[in-house]
Amino acid sequence: MHFAGEQTINAPIETVWAYFMDPNKVAQCAPGFKSMEILGPDHFKPTVGVGIGAVKATFTLDVTLKELRQPNHAEVTARGNAVGSAVDMTAKVDLTATSETVTTMQWAADVAISGTLASIGGRLIESTAKKLTGQFFDCTRQHLEAPSPA
Amino acid sequence: MATETETPIRGMGHSVKRKEDARFIRGRGRYVDDIKLPGMLFLDIVRSPYAHATIKNIDASAALAQPGVLAVITGKDLDAAGLAWMPTLMGDKQMVLPVDRVVYQAQEVAAVVATDRYAAADGVALVNVEYEPLPPVTDPIKALEADAPLVRPDREQKTNHIWHWEAGDAARTDELFNQAEVVVKEDLYIPRIHVCSIETCGCVASFDAVEGKLTVYMTTQAPHAIRTVFSLVTSIPEHKIHIISPDIGGGFGGKVPVYPGYVIACVASIKTGHPVKWIEDRSENLQADSFARDYHITAELAAKRDGTMQALRVKTIADHGAFDAAANPSKFPAGLFSVITGSYELDAAHVEVDGVYTNKPSGGVAYRCSFRVTEAVHTIERMVDVLAQKLSMDPAELRLKNFIPPEKFPYKSPTGWEYDSGNYPAALRKAMEEIGYEQLRREQAEKRARGELMGIGLSTFTEIVGAGPSHTFDILGIKMFDSAEIRVHPTGSAIVRIGVQTQGQGHETTFAQIVAEELGLPVENITVEHGDTDTAPYGLGTYASRSTPTAGAATAVAARKIREKAKNIAAHLLEVSPDDLEWENYQFRVKGTPGKAVTMQQIAFAAYTNHPQGMEAGLEAVDYYDPPNLTFPFGAYVCVVDIDRGTGEVKIRRFLAIDDCGNIINPMIVDGQIHGGLTMGMAPALLEEITYDENGNIQQGNFMDYLLPTAMETPAWETDKTVTPSPHHPFGAKGVGESATVGAPPAIANAVVDALSHLGVTHIDIPITPWKVYKILEEHGVAES
Repeated sequence: MHFAGEQTINAPIETVWAYFMDPNKVAQCAPGFKSMEILGPDHFKPTVGVGIGAVKATFTLDVTLKELRQPNHAEVTARGNAVGSAVDMTAKVDLTATSETVTTMQWAADVAISGTLASIGGRLIESTAKKLTGQFFDCTRQHLEAPSPA
Repeated sequence: MATETETPIRGMGHSVKRKEDARFIRGRGRYVDDIKLPGMLFLDIVRSPYAHATIKNIDASAALAQPGVLAVITGKDLDAAGLAWMPTLMGDKQMVLPVDRVVYQAQEVAAVVATDRYAAADGVALVNVEYEPLPPVTDPIKALEADAPLVRPDREQKTNHIWHWEAGDAARTDELFNQAEVVVKEDLYIPRIHVCSIETCGCVASFDAVEGKLTVYMTTQAPHAIRTVFSLVTSIPEHKIHIISPDIGGGFGGKVPVYPGYVIACVASIKTGHPVKWIEDRSENLQADSFARDYHITAELAAKRDGTMQALRVKTIADHGAFDAAANPSKFPAGLFSVITGSYELDAAHVEVDGVYTNKPSGGVAYRCSFRVTEAVHTIERMVDVLAQKLSMDPAELRLKNFIPPEKFPYKSPTGWEYDSGNYPAALRKAMEEIGYEQLRREQAEKRARGELMGIGLSTFTEIVGAGPSHTFDILGIKMFDSAEIRVHPTGSAIVRIGVQTQGQGHETTFAQIVAEELGLPVENITVEHGDTDTAPYGLGTYASRSTPTAGAATAVAARKIREKAKNIAAHLLEVSPDDLEWENYQFRVKGTPGKAVTMQQIAFAAYTNHPQGMEAGLEAVDYYDPPNLTFPFGAYVCVVDIDRGTGEVKIRRFLAIDDCGNIINPMIVDGQIHGGLTMGMAPALLEEITYDENGNIQQGNFMDYLLPTAMETPAWETDKTVTPSPHHPFGAKGVGESATVGAPPAIANAVVDALSHLGVTHIDIPITPWKVYKILEEHGVAES
C-alpha cells in the first residue's frame, strides 16, 4: 500500500528537522504508542498498539533512520511483528523551507501489512491509516507550532 | 425359542427417520472437542503472517517461561525425528512444521503445548519468530512465468509447474475444430472456495508408552487410510495405531487430508506422555486448511450450424497452492475432470490440466464433489448455453438435440468413461413441464419488453461418483474398494460395521435399511457402526458420493452371503431341500406351499441353537466390494431469477431440481441431501470466493468477509426425481450426496446470463455478486440509479 501527503507546518525548517530526529518527541504523537527502547541515534524499538476494526494488535517495531541529509531529507525503514501479523514499511520525508517560519513536508510511505490484521481488517486499513496519519500530523503541528515547543 | 416380531421391516424406499438424530437433536452428539481424557494437555499453533518468508530464528524462551506452558515444538524438533515433512495423498510432500521457510499465510510455524487452552494461546503470543519476507506468488498464471518466485525450492524441478495431465483425442478434436461451422470459446474461472464445515478440524492424540499404542480421536472422513499413512510416516506398527472418528460436524471433502495439527498433536503426546487436544478456531480453519476449486479454464465447443455439438477442447490451469495435497485417486491428478463432456454426445474431446504451485494453502479438496466434477459440469453446462446464445437457439432445445440417447447406454464417452445408465431427455422434459418452461419464456419476453430483467437457467448435468474400480482407482496404492461386516445376533438383531465414515449423511439409518431389506430384519433392530479402525473393516472412507456405491454395495453383498447361509438353515428347519425354497416377502418359504415358511429371526436363533450338523454356527459375513464401474447420477435443474436493476442483486424466484440417483434407500434423506447440496451450490454461484492481495494475505479470513449462506439467503427449493437404476450396483443405487452441489451453480449462472443475454452478455464468472452485476448493468446503460 502506498500512502503519501504534504503538510505545511508553521515552524522553521531546522526546528522541524530537530523535532523529527528526536524519537521521544515523535513518539508523543504516535497513535497507540506504549514504550520505546532507544538503541542508537538512528535505531529505535517502539511498541505500539494498533486497532483496525475489531482486530487489535501490539507491534514491536524495529525502526531505522537512513539517508539523513539535514535538514531536508530522511528515510525510515520499519519492520514489526504482532501475534499473527507483521508490518514492513519504508518511508521518505522531504522538508522544504517555504519561508523562514514555514516548512513544507512531503512524505511517502510504502506499507505491507501481513497476517491477521490484513486479512481480517483488510478493507479498513486504508481508512484507518488515513485517520491515524491525520491524528499524527495534527498533534505534531500543535507541538511544533506552539509558542514554546516542548 | 425366539418370539416372532411384529415390527415392520422398513427396508429400501422408506423415509425412516434418522436414527442418529435422536442424539443430535438432544445435544448428545459426541464430537472430538467433547472428548476429555485424564491429564489432557492443549495445543495451539503459531502461524505465519507472511505468505512467503524465510525463518531466521524462533525464540521460544518467553513462551516457555509462561505458567502452564510445557513445551514448544518447532520444525527443527520434528526434523530431528524425521517428521518435519509428511507425504500427501497425491504423492507430494508437505511441511508439518517448517525448518527454515514458510510458503503460505497462516502456515503452521511452531506449536505450544500447555496445561489449558488459555495458557496455550498465551504461549503462542510469546513465541518470537524472526522472518525475512520473500516475494509471494498467488496467481498460478504468473507462477508459471520464468521469473516467478519459486514456491518449492525443495523439489528437483525448479519451476512452479507440478504436473500436466490430459485426456481424450487431441488430433481428432483439432480436426473437428478445423472443420467446424461454429466455434464458441470462453474463459471461465471457478474460484477458490472453502468447505467451512461447522465443526473445524481437530484431534485428541493419546500415546500409551506402556502399550506403545497411539490412539487418535480425529475429525477424519477416512480413518483407515489415515491409520495406514500414520503408520508409514511414524514407523509405529499399524496394529498399534487406533484411529477413532467420532461424530463429525460436516466434512465435505475438507476432512480427507491429513493436516499438520494432527501430526503435531501426536508428537506432542509422545513427547509429553499426556493426551493432547488440538482444535482449530474458525479463522485457522478458513485460512489454513485445504481449499477447493481454483481452476482457470479456457473452453471451446465446436458445432454444426444446426446445433449438433461435435467436439470440446479445454485447457486448464489448476492452482494447487504450496503443496499438492488434494485427495484425488492416484492416477487422476485432475480428479474426474474428464467427465466434462457431460450429458452430450460428442464425437471427440480433449482436456488438459496443468497443476501449479502458489503461495497459498494446499488445494483441490473435492468439496462435496467427486473430484473436480463441479468444475467439469460448470464448464460444459455454461458452454452449452454459450453455444445456444450464439446460434439463437433455446438452451433446452439445444440440450434435447445433443443428449446421449437413452438407448445408447452403457455409453462410452470420448474421454473414456463408460456411463452406466441414463435418461436425460426424460429428466429435462419433466423439469420443463413442472416449472412451466414455455410460460416462463413468454413471461420473460413480456418483461424484457418492459425493461425488466428475468432469466431462466438450465443445468442438465451428469455426475461420476462411487470411486472406484480397483483396476483404475487407488489412493497411495490402496485400492478404492469398500467394506461391510454384518453379524446377526441369536434374537434376530444385527450389527453392521462399515469401512466408510458418516459426517451427516445418515449412514446409521440408510445402511440399516439396506440390511433390513436384504435380510428381512426390522430396521430398528440393526445397529450401524463406523469410524473406529480397531473394529470396523478396512475402507477408504466417505467422500465423492462413494458410500452407497461402494460400502452400500458391500453391505448388500454381505447380507446376501448371510441370506445364502440362512437358506440352508431354513431348509434344515423346514426339512426340505434348499432348492425348494424361495425368498418372498422377507421369508424363506417352500415353493408352492406359502404357509410353510421361516423368518430371518427364526433362522438367526437356529444359527446359534439348532444349526445343521456339519455347518458352522453363527450368522455373519464380510464383504470387500470392488465396484465394476463408477455410477453416473444425473439431473435436470431449472433456475428462475429476477435481477434488481437498482442494486444488481440476483433473486432466485424458483429453483426446481429433478434428480436421478437410481434406486433410493431413504427418500427423506435423499431430499435432505439435495436441499443441503443446492444450498452449497447456490453459495459459490452467488456469494463465496476466497481471494488474496498482492502480499498473499487472504481477504476472506472470517465469516464477516466470507459469505456463507444462511436461511435468509436460501430460496425455497423444489425437488422431484426420475429413477434410472444403475445396472451394475447390487440394488441399483448411484449415490446422491453431491449431485446438487455440482448441478446447481451452472443453473444459476445460466439464469443470470440469460437475463442479460439481450445486452450481449455471454458469460459471468461466479460468484455473481450484486457488484459484478451492477457494473454490467451500468456498462449497458440499464442500471437504475
